[in-house]
Amino acid sequence: MRSDPVQPERLAGTGPVQPEAGAVAPAMSGAYISVREVSKVYGRGRDRVEAVHRASFDVPKGQFVAILGPSGCGKSTLLMMCAGLEHVSSGRIAIGPRTVDGPSRDIGIMFQDPTLLPWKTALQNVLFPIHIMGLRKAEHAERAGDLLRLVGLAGFEDKKPHQLSGGMRQRVAICRALISDPDILLMDEPFSALDAISRDEMNVLLLDIWQRYSKTGLFVTHSIREAVLLADRVLVMRRRPAAVVEDIMIPFERPRRPELGDTREFVELCAMLRRHIESQT
Amino acid sequence: MNAIGSILPAAVPREATRLHDVLHGAAGWLRRIAVAVLPSVLILVLWEAAVRWEVVSPDRMPAPSAVWGILASHRQILLAQSIPTAVDTVLSFGLAVVCGLGLGILIASFERFRLAVYPYVILFQLIPKVAVAPLFLVWFGIGMQSRVAFAMFVAFFPVLVSTIAGLTGASPSAMRLARSLRASRSQLLFQIQMPYAIPHLFVGAKVAATMAVLGIVIAEFVTAQSGLGYIIMFGASVGQTALVFAAVALLCGIGLALYCAVALAEVAARRWHGGFPAASG
Repeated sequence: MRSDPVQPERLAGTGPVQPEAGAVAPAMSGAYISVREVSKVYGRGRDRVEAVHRASFDVPKGQFVAILGPSGCGKSTLLMMCAGLEHVSSGRIAIGPRTVDGPSRDIGIMFQDPTLLPWKTALQNVLFPIHIMGLRKAEHAERAGDLLRLVGLAGFEDKKPHQLSGGMRQRVAICRALISDPDILLMDEPFSALDAISRDEMNVLLLDIWQRYSKTGLFVTHSIREAVLLADRVLVMRRRPAAVVEDIMIPFERPRRPELGDTREFVELCAMLRRHIESQT
Repeated sequence: MNAIGSILPAAVPREATRLHDVLHGAAGWLRRIAVAVLPSVLILVLWEAAVRWEVVSPDRMPAPSAVWGILASHRQILLAQSIPTAVDTVLSFGLAVVCGLGLGILIASFERFRLAVYPYVILFQLIPKVAVAPLFLVWFGIGMQSRVAFAMFVAFFPVLVSTIAGLTGASPSAMRLARSLRASRSQLLFQIQMPYAIPHLFVGAKVAATMAVLGIVIAEFVTAQSGLGYIIMFGASVGQTALVFAAVALLCGIGLALYCAVALAEVAARRWHGGFPAASG
């Protein structure tokens, strides 16, 4: 069951939309991703497990939403249902006018594991979606090279994944998710396997990419800081029953810099979120 | 762009291998070859000594020098008999790989086909193969067809099992990535499953290479027309043990050549593949 959006006390009065939100499209353009009463049940009888319980939320076009929660709260399952990679047990997910009933090529996905094909070079991995979609690789090779340069991998185009570090692999995965210029980017704890320093770097990189391409994004994470730094809005999920319990706007304007994380407002917002999560468990 | 440039480490591709490394590598290889060759040299010397000093009778156990003498004096006839054996072996190996791969792809791709066919393939494999060798003679005549068919029957199972293991063992996250891009069934097979199966396929092919030699020799025993298997039967029946050993040595040569060809192909595949697990011999 979804509760009403909760505003932090300090920020009371700041509406659901941030007028300063610069590159981000206004939230008033309506629901782009619409999740209605979505549940996911595995097994039956005694083995029945409800991974997601009647989740409902809307994401307007251009908004970056973080789904925050402890491990095992069903947040990844929820994301995979939005990606069309898992069926919903009940309820409905729609993207634009289309009900999600399978994977869509308008969606770029980043998984927890970079999932690079070991026999392909960095450039070939970035071009993999183009290859699968049957589009002309030559026409996209330039864009792939630009993306790799943007993420700091100039000179690594012809390296195989085993020659790259974990952070570099995840950067290749970002490029691959962006190569077909999808409207939506779904990210399933993409940086959780990285060390803290690489993770900070990736957060900065993602902020920059967001500024540049302004996609609609769903970002699953269990890091409060990461959620507050990256997102326009944070949905908090809880375990047993797995459900969306809080919907909080993040008021910081863009472009954001990593130094934002050192400000008092940021720290207090994180503390408030942590209290919310703790009160739910 | 600047924000990223300042935060990401400078990207410098690694320099090419230096001469020192090359020489060091060559010395390592020489040492490994020496260690591998030493035991066989030692055994040959002891064997020769044992026969010379009449510890064993030369009729039962001809000295290596006597075997070498036969190889030299009978080289024409031995070579003439080696060629059909070698050709049959390579042919049956090739057919085993093609059939094992083809059937493996069908079994791994179609659930119903697997349920309907795989149990019987396994049952078929439980037959002691030597026991049915005479049947192949009845079915295919005493010519090359029966020998090749029997050796293929002996050799194809390891290819089949490794194909199925490789195709079904493809990285689940890579499969999920391909599904998210709406890859077709054949794209899944050729872009993801087959490349992931390659290391497994070489394990199967190596076993099949040794099994093909075995199958051909058994078939030559049964058909008793030509080939090194026939020479062995003939040599043993007239007490010419040196001739038997000479034929066995040539069989080993054929088997080794085929095995090495597979191993070389594996090295090439590993270089292309990148993410190969450690070599298994």
